[in-house]
Amino acid sequence: MRKKGYRYFVIIVILFVGVHLVQVQIDYRKKLENLESALLLMPGQMAGSLVLGGFKGLAADLLWLQMETLWHSGQHYKILPLLEAIAWLQPSYILVWTIGGWHMAYNIYAAVKTEEEKQYWYDQGIKFLKKGISYPFNANKYDIYFELGWTYYHKGKDYPNAVKYFEKATKYPHPDYVDDVLAHAYEKNGEIEKAIKQWEFVRDNYTAFFDIATRMINDLKTKGKATP
Amino acid sequence: MKKMWLIGLNTFRESMRKKTLYIILIFALIVIGASKLFSFLTAEEELKMIKDVSFSAIEFFGALMAIFGSLYAISTEIERRTIYTLLTKPIRRSDFVLGKFFGVSMIVLINFILMTVFFIGLLFFKKSPPDLQVFKTLLLIFFELMLISGITLALGTFTSDAFNIICSFFLYIVGHLTSYGKELVERTENIIVRGLTDMLYTLVPNYENFNIRDKIVVGLNVSWGYVGWTILYGILYLCIALYIALYFFEKREI
Repeated sequence: MRKKGYRYFVIIVILFVGVHLVQVQIDYRKKLENLESALLLMPGQMAGSLVLGGFKGLAADLLWLQMETLWHSGQHYKILPLLEAIAWLQPSYILVWTIGGWHMAYNIYAAVKTEEEKQYWYDQGIKFLKKGISYPFNANKYDIYFELGWTYYHKGKDYPNAVKYFEKATKYPHPDYVDDVLAHAYEKNGEIEKAIKQWEFVRDNYTAFFDIATRMINDLKTKGKATP
Repeated sequence: MKKMWLIGLNTFRESMRKKTLYIILIFALIVIGASKLFSFLTAEEELKMIKDVSFSAIEFFGALMAIFGSLYAISTEIERRTIYTLLTKPIRRSDFVLGKFFGVSMIVLINFILMTVFFIGLLFFKKSPPDLQVFKTLLLIFFELMLISGITLALGTFTSDAFNIICSFFLYIVGHLTSYGKELVERTENIIVRGLTDMLYTLVPNYENFNIRDKIVVGLNVSWGYVGWTILYGILYLCIALYIALYFFEKREI
């Protein structure tokens, strides 16, 4: 029996060595495929993590539902900590970054009175969106780049930055309208040649945009201005 | 092999008579079905919530079934003294333990299939048929449940039911947190602490390896390579659990 016990012990140790080697491979894969938790555990947040265990997504959903309720009751400021919490729990959830950035740069911006406050919330929105793309798994998707570009373009009238982020958005799989908006941004930024080239690209690639792209090219060539 | 199969089948039939597992299954189906209540959200948000709630329900209620199914598999036989009759027959103890595991696995599998079919039906109802990533997530959840069963069964060979249930739940929670613990310890410079943590990281089952659902629901892709390594991890750890179960059961005086 004792001999058999040693045999079991040896087999178990060998299996644990195997488990360790496989775990090394899994950790490597997690890094490679951006599957790591990406949760920064602060001392105060540890308790929450203990409770949540493997159910971070579910917790994020519950907070999202709470956010919806606050949203519809017009309690905009109360949404902010929830947005931060959802982003912390599930940073790969793109919608939380795009909606959060839009909420700060548009909704709270509209709710505050002074120019300083407006500027502050515009900056906060931009900052939140940039934080979103700082995560590697978000950096290879067009969504947040587009939202950033749009906030610069539409709210901030900051066309150089708008062009910069729209261009980044077009590097990743994206819907047709991203190319359309980029063409507008080129024009607003004074890059007429680039705007014409971009409209030509839109005209040749997206049939739904054919008429508008043709008109834009014509206006840019004749009047030097197309976007109202 | 035939004896193992018979013991497994018997364990399965016996468990099917227990009401606890049915109650857990009904709860699971209610929770999965309730995820349809999020229809006030946008389509994208709703789909994410349905997947989140369903994956979590399948895993959590599946874990409950795995723990409760395995918990009484061996201890009931000892309590009722039916094991004496069994072991007087030409049945090896290893056949008995593996047969019990086999029976519990069948229960877990059937409940898992029922919950999965219900979930997939819900996705079809929402006109969003499941993609390959959904199946990868479900596959890993299933292997996690098998591992939980194996570990609970192993603990049942040398602990009381009460201690086993506490230990299994404790391992379930800790197993989901080891990755975070390691991330924290990686920042320490103390070699002893790091060494100990590395050891614990290997010894404690890392259930978080099987958790890809948080990534899948937000549209990230997980490769077959990752899934394959994680399944291998599950199989190796399951072998350890079963070897421990065999060792203690053979040592046990019955």
